[in-house]
Amino acid sequence: MGGFLHLFIVNKSGGLIHHRPLSDRAPTIGTNEWLRIGSTFHSLHAIAAEASPLRLLGNKNAYGADDGIEEINAGGILLKSFQTRTGVKFVITADPGTADIDYVLREIYVLYTDCALKDPFYELEMPIRCELFTQAVDLLIERVEKSGPGSFKQR
Amino acid sequence: MSKSVAAASGHALWAKMPKANAELFALTYGSLVTELIRDYDSIEEINEQLEKMGYSIGVRCVDEFLAKSEQHGMTVPTCQNLKDTAEVVAKTGFRMFLGISCDVTMAPDGNAFSLFMYENPLALFVELPKTNDMPTAAGGATKKWEDLKYSNLYCGILRGSLEQINLRVSCEYIRDVLQGEEVNEIRVTLREVLQDGAGDDYKEE
Repeated sequence: MGGFLHLFIVNKSGGLIHHRPLSDRAPTIGTNEWLRIGSTFHSLHAIAAEASPLRLLGNKNAYGADDGIEEINAGGILLKSFQTRTGVKFVITADPGTADIDYVLREIYVLYTDCALKDPFYELEMPIRCELFTQAVDLLIERVEKSGPGSFKQR
Repeated sequence: MSKSVAAASGHALWAKMPKANAELFALTYGSLVTELIRDYDSIEEINEQLEKMGYSIGVRCVDEFLAKSEQHGMTVPTCQNLKDTAEVVAKTGFRMFLGISCDVTMAPDGNAFSLFMYENPLALFVELPKTNDMPTAAGGATKKWEDLKYSNLYCGILRGSLEQINLRVSCEYIRDVLQGEEVNEIRVTLREVLQDGAGDDYKEE
């Protein structure tokens, strides 16, 4: 059982460039609320690195991306964030205990590079309005949920 | 990243990338340059346009490079200095997208490097005329073939992709096989390491 709820993508400057419910059970969130969520997460991500008791050099983690919130594990929700070395943040919310979220985040990054970035009409940092991208994300989630938990080893 | 690891990753990634017809690629680029020559009056403008196009490609290329290397299990380790960056660009990056490998020489001060390409996929079948008269737009100034930087696209690509990972560089095409030299040389000079936006706001004074 998948348990994926929402996907949202934040650009380098903290603006929300994409949000999408990944299942019917995902709560409905209005567009303005989404924009607030995007920028709030961006700021908290940066503040967390500053406030962390373990400060990394240049606030960069081992992967080379900015250090910050990677996972929020709360009572009713699991939030995982993946920041690329170019500053784009991919964030997924899911039911607690959902597996393979890291794999899905990295696959979505690949879909972003193949569908959104290669769209000649897509401007960097702008909201993603690519049909190909949304279809590919939906297919990915469907494939992961069908395969069951733990079938995708994290490299 | 050591040379051999970068080269091995490059090989492996090249194998996994979808391929396009090399001749179609070269001919399409050739017609693009021909159109630019017809449209623009001065060579500087043409070179600049090619660089700008390369820049748009570069800013998108780098995400693809990072995403796909991760996807295929070859995480590119963080570069500690410009030399590492140069190795990754030359051995992994160029190999992954173009199937060619480049040599790198660092400048003595470590703030610049030169990329040497022995084959240029963009310039397949290309010969520049020996005479110095180019087709000009009506009323345009005379242009010289020797000033044309045919593969200036690469300079833009390098500038765009490195900018996305916070390295502001300037790239220049120094030697071109099409102009009669033995090797293609691109000089990349590091101007500034950029700070990410959010960091500045929250830095302590």
